Amino acid sequence: MKITPAAVGTDQAPAAKEAFYQTKRFRQNIPLFAMLIPGVLYYLIFRYAPMGGLVIAFKDYNFHDGIWSSPWVGWKYFEILFQSNVTLQIIWNTLNLSVLNLVFGFPAPIIIAIALNEVRKTWLKRWIQTVIYLPHFLSWVIVAGIVLTLFSIEGGTVNKLLGQWGGEPVPFLYRADSWIAIFIGSGMWKEMGFSAIIYLAALSSIDPSLYESAGMDGAGKLRQIWHITLPGIRPTIILLLILGVGRLMEVGFDQVYNLQNPTVLEKAEVISTYVYKVGLQQAQFSLTTAMGLFESFVGLVLVLSANALARKFDQGLF
Amino acid sequence: MRESIGGKFFVTFIHIILILISLTCILPFVHLVALSVSSGHAVDLGQVLFWPVGLDFTVYNYFFENTPALRAFTNSVIITLGGTILSMLATVLTAYPLSRRYLYARKPITMAALFTMLFGGGMIPTYLVMNSLHLINTYWSLWLGGLISTYNMLIMKSYFESVPGEVAESAQIDGCGEVRLLMRIILPLSLPMLATLTLFYGVGYWNMFMSVILYINETSLQNLTVVVQGMLQIQGNFNMAAMDMMQQQEMVSEKLKAVGVVVMVVPMLVVYPFLQKYFVKGIMLGSIKG
Repeated sequence: MKITPAAVGTDQAPAAKEAFYQTKRFRQNIPLFAMLIPGVLYYLIFRYAPMGGLVIAFKDYNFHDGIWSSPWVGWKYFEILFQSNVTLQIIWNTLNLSVLNLVFGFPAPIIIAIALNEVRKTWLKRWIQTVIYLPHFLSWVIVAGIVLTLFSIEGGTVNKLLGQWGGEPVPFLYRADSWIAIFIGSGMWKEMGFSAIIYLAALSSIDPSLYESAGMDGAGKLRQIWHITLPGIRPTIILLLILGVGRLMEVGFDQVYNLQNPTVLEKAEVISTYVYKVGLQQAQFSLTTAMGLFESFVGLVLVLSANALARKFDQGLF
Repeated sequence: MRESIGGKFFVTFIHIILILISLTCILPFVHLVALSVSSGHAVDLGQVLFWPVGLDFTVYNYFFENTPALRAFTNSVIITLGGTILSMLATVLTAYPLSRRYLYARKPITMAALFTMLFGGGMIPTYLVMNSLHLINTYWSLWLGGLISTYNMLIMKSYFESVPGEVAESAQIDGCGEVRLLMRIILPLSLPMLATLTLFYGVGYWNMFMSVILYINETSLQNLTVVVQGMLQIQGNFNMAAMDMMQQQEMVSEKLKAVGVVVMVVPMLVVYPFLQKYFVKGIMLGSIKG
C-alpha cells in the first residue's frame, strides 16, 4: 500500500487512489457484514418484530386469527385502560414506586462513592468495595428470601427479636407503608454499592491538585466536596439521571413480583406484573399490550425530554 | 497536610457509616447460613442470630433429595453455560464490525441497536414471537431472547475502538484479514472487558427469573431461581390457618427457605472474588470511554 513516487503528482493519481481505497474498503466490509449476521438477525427477530406485534393493542387479538387477521378495534383498549379504576390504580402504583425508587435510590450511590473516596487505607477501601458490590449479583429471589427471613410475621427474625424484648409482632410485609419502605430499601441495598462504581471512575479523573490548593485556601472537607467533587462528577450524574428518568415508567418485574404478596397487592401491583398475570396467564393479550405500549411510549417520551433538557445545559446524551 | 479536628471527625464518621453499610451486606448471609444449619427447635425459638445453635444438616439432605432442587441446579448450569457462550460470541461478533470506522452504514446500524434500549415491544408481543417460532419450553427462548444485551455490546464496541489504530493498521498492512485481526490482536488486548461481560452474562443467566416463568412452563426444565421462588412463596403465603399445621413441618419449611437461598448464593460467592478485580477494571474503562 506504499505510494510510489511515480504516482504522486500525476493528475490521475487521486482518482486512482480513491478507487483503490473504495475497493479495499469493500473487501474489508465483506467479512464484517458476515460477522454482523447473527446480531442483525437477533435485533430484527427479537427486538424489532415484537415492536410490530404492538399492533395487537389496536386489535381484538385471538390465537385463532393470529396477529394480522384479528379485527381492528381502534382505541378501545386504551379507553378501557383509562376508564377502569383497576388499571388506573396500577399505573399510579407504577409511578409511585418508581418515583420513590429514583428519589431515594439515585443519590445513594453518589454519597457512597464520595464517602469511599475519603477512605485512604487501600485494604479497607477494597474490602468495603468487595462487600457492597456483592448484593448486585444476587437475584431478586434471593433478596426476597432474605426479606422474608427477616421481616415476615410468622418466624421473621426481626419479629422474633421484638417478641423476646416483649414487643408485639409487626406485620411489616402486610402493611402498605412498611411494605413500600422495605421495597425501596431492598432496592437500595442491592444496587447502591454497584452503582457507585461509575461515580468512582468519574471521581478518579478529578485532578488531586485541586483539593490541595483548596485545602491550602482553608476549605474544609464539606466545602471541597461541594465545590470540587460534585462539579467534577456532574456530567456522570446528569447522564445517569437521564437514564433514570427514562426508566420512570418501569419497575423491575423481578423485584416487585418477588416481594409482593396478596395483602399489599392494591399498592404493589405494577404494570409489568399485571401484564404477566392478566395478559399471559388469563390471555388478555390486547388489553395488556395496550398497557405495555403506554408504558414504553411514556418511557420514550420521558427519556427524550430529559435529554432535551440536559442538552440545554450542554450535557445531552444524544 | 494538616487536617482540622472537624475534618478528622468527618472522616471517622464516614468510615463508621461505610463499615455499617458493609455489615448490612454480609450479616444477612451469615444469619441465613446459621439458620440453615441450626436445629429446627433453636430456629423456632429465635435463638439463632449469627452463630448456629445445635448443628443439624438434615434439611440440606431433604432439600436435595425430596425437592426438584438438584435437577433445577443442573438446569441452571446448562442455561448459564450455553447462554454465556452464545451471548459472548454474538456480542463480540456484533461489537467488532461496529467498532470499525470503515464499516458501511455503521451509524444507522448502531442507532438501530441503541433505539432498542429506549423502546421495545414489551412482554406480550415478545411472547407471541417466541410462540410463533415454537421456542416455548426450550432453552433457545432464553438464549436467543437475551442473546445480546445492547448495553454490554456498546461498551464492548467502545473498548474495541480504544485499541490504538496503529496496531490494527500495521497488522492489516502485513496482510492480516478481519477475522485474524479480531482473533489475534483485538481480543487478546480486550481481556479485562471480555472477563467483565462474561461475568455479567453469566450472572444474568444464573439469576434468570422472568424469562423462565414466561417461556418455560415445563417444571422439569425450570431453573433453581424459579424452583426456590416456588418454595419461598409457599412459606410467604402462610396465613393464620396454616399456623395450625404440624410444628415439625413448619420448622422444615422455615429452614428450607434458608437452605434454598444459601444453595443459590454459594456458586456466586465462589466465583465472585476471582472475577471482581476484572469487572471493576472493565467497568471503569468502559464508563470512561462510553
